[in-house]
Amino acid sequence: MASPKGALFTALVAIICIIAGLGGGWFIAWNQARGEVEALRAQVAELSKRLAAVEAKPPEVAPAEKIKAAWIYVGPVEDYGWTYGHDRGRRYVAEVFKDWLETYAVPKVSGAECLQVIDKLVAEGYKVIFATSFDFMDATYKAAEKYPDVIFFHCSGYLRRQNMGTYFAEFYQLYYLNGLIAGALTKTGHIGYVAAHPTPEVIRHINAFALGVKEVNPEAKVYVLWIHAWYDPTKARELAETLINKYSCDVLAFTEDTPTVVEVCQEYYEKGRPVYAFAHYSPMLKYGPDVCVSGQLVHWEVIYADILMKIKLGIYTNTNLENVDYWWMLREGAVELGCDYGVPINPKFIPVLKNIIVEKEIMLPNGTVVKNPSVYDLVFIRLAQMMEESPTFDPFTGPIYDQQGNLRVPPGERLGHDALWTMDWFVDNVVGEIPKGGGA
Amino acid sequence: MTSSLIIELGHLLNISIKAGTPLLLASLGEVYAERSGVLNLGLEGIMLIGAATGFIVAYSTGCPELGVLAAIVAGAIIGLLHAFVCISLQANQVVAGLALVMVGTGLSSLMARDYVGIALKRALRPVKIPGLSRIPIIGEGFFHHDILVYASYFITLILWFIMYKTKYGIWIRAVGEDPSAADAMGVNVYLVRYICTTFGGAMAGLAGAHISLAYTPMWVEGITVGRGWIALALVIFAMWDPLRAMIGAYLFGTTEVLQYWLQMPLQAMGIDPSLLGTFPYVATIIVLLVGSFERIRKRIGAPASLGKPYVRGF
Repeated sequence: MASPKGALFTALVAIICIIAGLGGGWFIAWNQARGEVEALRAQVAELSKRLAAVEAKPPEVAPAEKIKAAWIYVGPVEDYGWTYGHDRGRRYVAEVFKDWLETYAVPKVSGAECLQVIDKLVAEGYKVIFATSFDFMDATYKAAEKYPDVIFFHCSGYLRRQNMGTYFAEFYQLYYLNGLIAGALTKTGHIGYVAAHPTPEVIRHINAFALGVKEVNPEAKVYVLWIHAWYDPTKARELAETLINKYSCDVLAFTEDTPTVVEVCQEYYEKGRPVYAFAHYSPMLKYGPDVCVSGQLVHWEVIYADILMKIKLGIYTNTNLENVDYWWMLREGAVELGCDYGVPINPKFIPVLKNIIVEKEIMLPNGTVVKNPSVYDLVFIRLAQMMEESPTFDPFTGPIYDQQGNLRVPPGERLGHDALWTMDWFVDNVVGEIPKGGGA
Repeated sequence: MTSSLIIELGHLLNISIKAGTPLLLASLGEVYAERSGVLNLGLEGIMLIGAATGFIVAYSTGCPELGVLAAIVAGAIIGLLHAFVCISLQANQVVAGLALVMVGTGLSSLMARDYVGIALKRALRPVKIPGLSRIPIIGEGFFHHDILVYASYFITLILWFIMYKTKYGIWIRAVGEDPSAADAMGVNVYLVRYICTTFGGAMAGLAGAHISLAYTPMWVEGITVGRGWIALALVIFAMWDPLRAMIGAYLFGTTEVLQYWLQMPLQAMGIDPSLLGTFPYVATIIVLLVGSFERIRKRIGAPASLGKPYVRGF
């Protein structure tokens, strides 16, 4: 996955993080963490420069060959959610690597059309194809068999081949951090979750969120309702209003590809009934300046830059992708905590969160014990812990019980990638059912 | 307990009516178009154009009311285009309508490409009507809304009045039933159809504006997500009557909201809540079935000349 150099580098940054944490308080640690994302980008830029230098030499080895890369999207580019996020990543690499990269995007492709689209792209000479929906998995795999010379990368799936890798920017750490804040802000003790489809990914995010809530507010419950759509602003609104009015929820998180839920909360705030929300996928602070507390942001560009760079350098070829699986999170800079880029917590809420104390002791890796931190500090302590080279904290650490009271994760153990990847149960402070026969 | 139930029911009614309003606005216009004999399947496309235009103008001027006007004008232009194609060029109305959906979807996303991820400085927010909004259930249900919802109450009544109580209503209905007879009576068939179809477009544009300026104030591609199609079903469900369209719109809105309102209890009983979501379609099919009986058909059926171009002296 990450190159040894990258690992060394991130380790270095992580150590700096810890030292800074010791000396200058945890907010500085956060700045370092932010810096790490920037550093990663700087690293990308540096590699890119080196590459340019290589190319600047007389082209006796090979002419400055352009890589043609294509993206296949399931939704419209302008959805301000999933597809928008991917396209932002595409535009980023298209700009940074413009000397040797040519990009093209096909939006609104259904799973059934995918293979046809790939045929067309291959015929037009695209050598790298990113298929960005779970629905495309089978078609992409078939295409990978059919076109062994083309490099495929499939987002969110698990099928791999010598010329087909997989990648994903995972949010659960962020949902957990959002949960900490939600648990602190709720007055009714009822927190709502507007959920899209009952896939393991959404269930994992709900659970992580609920675990965060539980850590600061063991009495609070997370109410989950399903809209059965990835994209439907009208339904998202109806569901959000149901959570607010029927279940008296005063904090909402969601998985849906538009800023609707944030917008609804802002409307309730203006009606004199504050309901707080967390942004999902894209910056949504401007839709709810008074209510959007934090959220989850994606940086697909970090993954795309890494993949394309390695293809350009010949590290990835059409014969060695069998075990290439990106599962990138905070540490790699593929995701960011915040309601806008660079705004981890809406400044409006910082004083409130600094005043709410969580009664617990946290042992830091260096042995320091933090007693009764504020929620605000707790968020950044956890953030820094999860950004370490080998994170000293993970939300899915036992003991964790499911809704039926069964012990799902024994004390001290952490859930691994596979258990997270196939999750189909709710933790015990979630109210709501997982519909049967789920999936998108 | 009872007082909390009253509050809950008030909220349920409030959300249902809000959810029904875009359906109502679009279907009212379509009732007029279809009554005059012109089928417009392109509601979804026109709503998208209205939503996009409304948002762009509201954002650029900072005034959502201007956005509403712009959406109406944009919808009317598309309606006029449909009228020209269907009435003057006598094209197949089904094909023309479906083409409008595609044009509307594409054009709206192109027009508003730079408006994704932008929030309005001022959206159309709910306003309480003093006094009336304090009535239990009804107050929260009907009198705590944005201005377009209030406008829809009046528009429905006015349209019903025009349709059934004025000579213009008789003209429209006559043109839709038997255009040559209407023509012989001295009614300008083309003009009536042009006006009704253009009006239908304007109302669909207004419905779009309600979505992008009040209901979910934002622009994202394809923001209407199929509401135009439900509005079409609603026209049939309402049997081409503005008042019944209002009842139907609120009924459709209520069943949609009940899907979520009752999701947890229904799940606990082992019933799939999305069954409720099929109500608009099932109800429409039932009305179609009932309406296909000859005797009932004469009273409440579709306008006899719906979808048929009129050629004078033919």
